[in-house]
Amino acid sequence: MATQLAVDSHARYFRICLNGLPRQMTSLDAARMTFVQLCLVGLTALGKLDEVCSAEDKRQMIEWIYAQQVLGDGTELNAAYCGFRGGSLFGPHDLCDYVPANSANVAGTYSALCALLLLGDDLSRVDKPAIVEALRCLQQDSGCFAPHPGTTERDPRFIYCACAISAILDDWSGVDKDAAVEYIVSCCNPDGGMTQAPFQESHGGHLYCCVSSLALMGRLDAIPDRQRTLKWALQRQNGGYQGRVNKPADSCYSFWVGAAVELLGGHDLVDAAQVSAFLVQCETRFGGIAKFPDEFPDPLHAALGIVGFTFCNPDGFPRMSPTLLLPESLAHRLGVKAAKTTSG
Amino acid sequence: MARVVDEESDEGLLLPPMSEQEEWSDVVPIPQDDGRHPVCPIAYTDEYVEMTDYFRAVMAAGEVSHRAFELSGRVIDANAAHYTAWVYRKKLIIDLGLDISEELSWVTEISRRHIKNYQLWHHRGALLVLLLDPKDVEHESQDQRVQDPAIRNELQFVSTVIEKDSKNFHAWSHRQLVVRSYGIWDQEMAFVENQINEDVRNNSAWNQRYFALTANQSADEFVLSEELADREIGYAVDKIKLAPNNESPWSYIIGLLVRHAPAMLHERLLPKINELAADTDYALAVSNTPFYWSALVDIYEERAKALEGKERSDVEAFAIEACDLLAKRYDPVRAKYWEYRKQALQAAS
Repeated sequence: MATQLAVDSHARYFRICLNGLPRQMTSLDAARMTFVQLCLVGLTALGKLDEVCSAEDKRQMIEWIYAQQVLGDGTELNAAYCGFRGGSLFGPHDLCDYVPANSANVAGTYSALCALLLLGDDLSRVDKPAIVEALRCLQQDSGCFAPHPGTTERDPRFIYCACAISAILDDWSGVDKDAAVEYIVSCCNPDGGMTQAPFQESHGGHLYCCVSSLALMGRLDAIPDRQRTLKWALQRQNGGYQGRVNKPADSCYSFWVGAAVELLGGHDLVDAAQVSAFLVQCETRFGGIAKFPDEFPDPLHAALGIVGFTFCNPDGFPRMSPTLLLPESLAHRLGVKAAKTTSG
Repeated sequence: MARVVDEESDEGLLLPPMSEQEEWSDVVPIPQDDGRHPVCPIAYTDEYVEMTDYFRAVMAAGEVSHRAFELSGRVIDANAAHYTAWVYRKKLIIDLGLDISEELSWVTEISRRHIKNYQLWHHRGALLVLLLDPKDVEHESQDQRVQDPAIRNELQFVSTVIEKDSKNFHAWSHRQLVVRSYGIWDQEMAFVENQINEDVRNNSAWNQRYFALTANQSADEFVLSEELADREIGYAVDKIKLAPNNESPWSYIIGLLVRHAPAMLHERLLPKINELAADTDYALAVSNTPFYWSALVDIYEERAKALEGKERSDVEAFAIEACDLLAKRYDPVRAKYWEYRKQALQAAS
């Protein structure tokens, strides 16, 4: 019999997390939006969202998400700060003169848009022109993106967010695609892996952001040596997937690397039984999935572990898009094509 | 009520709540507005609630003051991913003209608790180049530059982090920033070799070897000469001898040659690994590792591209045989992949 996930326990776990997180998770305070998204992703991938969240629950969550939106005020001063903040930590934005205090973040915007779509919202209250303009402000000469103004952080995580946002809003005018592609190509290493900036170590998380961005831009052909990249990704399987060479397997890479493998056409080449067995070892008895076996679960590893599991065991689960963390059907409606399931 | 502010400090510094401190009496805190139905609310400690209430107020007022600066430090230490707190703190340092060396010491101090936080490392990198503008040391020799207190301190910080966590992604990335910003390339290969000697499986160090070897020149300028290739092949093979089933040296040498001198895979690497596989001291261990067979697939496949006719199909036959062995014996977890590689080779021949 095929490996099974403890579906009901995990659904309960995500419901508990939506209700509240313990104080040990205070470091997630600025990224609550992402954790809301992840809980909803987990429930959606399990096919349990409607069972666990009533129409009223969803309406309330939609209101909370919209309360984090920084709207355009039509001035240049505000242009780079628009989109969604990572949470309510920063302050009521109508109260602040000091704009950076409340700035949105491309990760917050990406997570908010995905969460709204999962909750059935039509995005009609999203200030689309302001978000597109903010992306334009945040792209750098290198082609890479900053997450928000005032920081020197730039890496493919934010290129991915910008691409996902553009795909969801169906407006790419905030992204110079050629420049973004050029930056990503500069992050492709001789070993076939990809990383966050030229010459840094190949990393499964950045591989995902790079490959998925290219897929969203329709530019997978830009990968310098696609066969070597596919091999690097498959080489990460050691039972479960590791994120880097000579590191232990970690449940979240069943998504980061697993999804990159899907996008590179390697679905049929994975030892799905071993990935699944590893994920089951990382399950905890009362719900949730941990990074490693015998550790405490968290919403990120739980949601990404479950989506990674569904790539390996498609029967009985809604098919999730490897590019957008949305159901394939929804991604398809947005015009994002399904990944090829055959190798080549 | 007295509360412990910094649980980890030796003094166990005790301070009353901010609402009872004279220093803050002029500030009206701004409570968090989480709406009527918060999603994923966090069960904050009372201290965190109070400090962020005051922090929202000073940020909303755009206050430029030492107390705002101190408060930003407490907030960041409680939640290092507070991205606007870092932006605000950097602005305060510049506007107040604060001592950047002291700030770097503070980052060192809190880094023990937030060593994998992205913002912390970027803050550090941004301040470092403010402390010491790379242009100011351009005229100096590399030996002089590495003696500059700012650079020495930074390399020391990175070394301390790497000593505790030899694969810390941020630390290696930061080290590249320092080496590149100040052009201190000469000492890098020695650092890398020390790290590889410490742990031959440290892939971060192997990656840094590629950086140290090639990143000082533009991609078009870098030429992998035969001498350099032989040196790197010799180094990789020596390390393979220590632990044949270690992906890092295999992947390092194959990647280097594939990118910069593919013909040398067959000309210069193949004889060395054949020698290794024939050496009775290593033959068994080497032939048991999937990386050996995988290297043969790469080498023969690349070689076949330069050949035609029977010569080509003979070389492809070696690659196909290696794929077969990998699928059936040495790398069963990737059996389907090696079957797929084999089919691609068969279709080509």
